[in-house]
Amino acid sequence: MALTVKPAVAGAAGIAVALAIWQAASSAHAAGGSLPAVATVATDLGGLLAEPDFWSAVGATVGIALLGLGASAAAGIVVGVLVGSFEPIRFATRAVLEFLKPIPPIVILPLVVLILGPTGQMSWFLVFLGCLLPIVMQTVDGVHSTDPVARDTARSYGMGSAEILARIVVPSSLPYIGTAMRVSAPAALIITVVAGLLGGGPGLGARLYLAQSGGDYPTLYALVIVLGVLGLMFQGATRFAERRLLHWHESYREVVHS
Amino acid sequence: MTSPHLATTPLEGSLGGEPQGQRPARLDVVHLAKSYGTGDGAKKVIEDLTFSVSAREIVCIVGPSGIGKTTLLKCLAGLQPTSGGRAAIDGREISGPPPEMALVFQDYSRSLMPWLTVRKNVVLPLRHLRLPKAELKARCDEALEAVGLAHAENQFPWQLSGGMQQRVAIARALAYRPEILIMDEPFASVDAQTRFDLEDLCLKIREGFGMTILVVTHDIDEAVYLADRVVVLGSKPARVLRIVDVELPSPRDQIGTRALPEFAAQRTDVLSLIKRPA
Ligand SMILES: Nc1ncnc2c1ncn2[C@@H]1O[C@H](COP(=O)(O)OP(=O)(O)OP(=O)(O)O)[C@@H](O)[C@H]1O
Ligand SMILES: [Mg+2]
Repeated sequence: MALTVKPAVAGAAGIAVALAIWQAASSAHAAGGSLPAVATVATDLGGLLAEPDFWSAVGATVGIALLGLGASAAAGIVVGVLVGSFEPIRFATRAVLEFLKPIPPIVILPLVVLILGPTGQMSWFLVFLGCLLPIVMQTVDGVHSTDPVARDTARSYGMGSAEILARIVVPSSLPYIGTAMRVSAPAALIITVVAGLLGGGPGLGARLYLAQSGGDYPTLYALVIVLGVLGLMFQGATRFAERRLLHWHESYREVVHS
Repeated sequence: MTSPHLATTPLEGSLGGEPQGQRPARLDVVHLAKSYGTGDGAKKVIEDLTFSVSAREIVCIVGPSGIGKTTLLKCLAGLQPTSGGRAAIDGREISGPPPEMALVFQDYSRSLMPWLTVRKNVVLPLRHLRLPKAELKARCDEALEAVGLAHAENQFPWQLSGGMQQRVAIARALAYRPEILIMDEPFASVDAQTRFDLEDLCLKIREGFGMTILVVTHDIDEAVYLADRVVVLGSKPARVLRIVDVELPSPRDQIGTRALPEFAAQRTDVLSLIKRPA
């Protein structure tokens, strides 16, 4: 008989097994007492959820991540369209961008903290910098991938270059921009937390630092779980947005029979 | 399955009656030459083409694949510079895309935007004309109706068959109301019945809008049926082998005209030009 399992059931089973392993490891003092019991962490998590301060930290983290992401998307798309539209600029910037891209934004964290201090501004600026380059580079590729026939069509109907950029080039680049956003959204969250953890910026990163310095393992784990859930939500939201905006693209097309 | 036959009633109503105040335009091609690339690597595609399309005339261009028909049309549409000679509309030299011209691309599916519905694709080139909303809608309705696609206006191009996509591209050109309509193998992927309907639509557009029409086709019967004159291209690089005046009575009719002995004579004429190496 074929085994038919609902994905949701399988997922729940997977989580249950993971929790069981966690509990077993904790009972066996596998990590030298640094791994609290599942129930302890759950209680702590419950406590956190009832705390208004916790929620303002969540708000700060999400707000900073979204602000940085939004700013880098706006700037990255504009810069990417400009760079991609002018061949000489594209060639001139290529090498520099390729060099800068693999540098993690954390490297410049000390510098940004020196300039802006341990503030929310510092955090979102770091997010902005971290997400900017991938978005710029993907947009450049997207602009370059615009079908020349589509471009010629627009030109032959007398559409001006600004209109062609807005109505042909940017939509053509959307699949590439979508990919960049899908990668950048979780990165924005991570950078925000790291900026709090290492740079003293507000939000869950700072809470994580407090829990760490106080040796408060249950809270540490509870925060990790919260961040995991937030990461999933970020990813889900970008996937949802991508599907909505790119429903016409090959990878999302549904054959509709009318 | 019956093909989605093209509506005739709206045509009678809108395209049929009085010519709508369009200024008939004339197209002149004088010693046009075109090479791709420069220097030693240059590839000469068009040697020397001279012909003209009078106002309200339908001219068909026939010639073997790869001879440079699309190349010629791109030059006429101002999308690429010529390497020699000139092309002019009513005496004004073409140096960029002329506003009074519409081009239906051979690559119809790539010329439709996949993120826009059929209707929005048709409206796309009209946006910068800043027409009143009602006129925009009227033009779009009429054009879609004319190609028999009113029912598909909210679908996306990739949900349609090749022939339907081709008709969307034609509708977009009609809605633009050009003085000169240029089409690059526009009926290549439609079934025989729709093809006849579209050919007749082409004749009706000329009557209704007073358009000047230049059509590239592989199909010699089609060229003879549609055209007032057929420009036969040949040799490499391309030259005009001959310009054949089609002398068939108007109005033309798919069954009657094609049955005429003159029709057979004309198509044999053109065919022998193409078959025989120049
Ligand atoms: N952008 C280009 N650069 C270089 N060569 C080109 C370019 N476009 C077309 N050619 C060449 O020019 C020649 C004519 O091409 P063109 O597309 O105009 O032919 P065609 O008559 O339209 O053919 P078909 O009937 O198959 O559509 C071909 O040899 C082609 O390879
Ligand atoms: Mg061609």
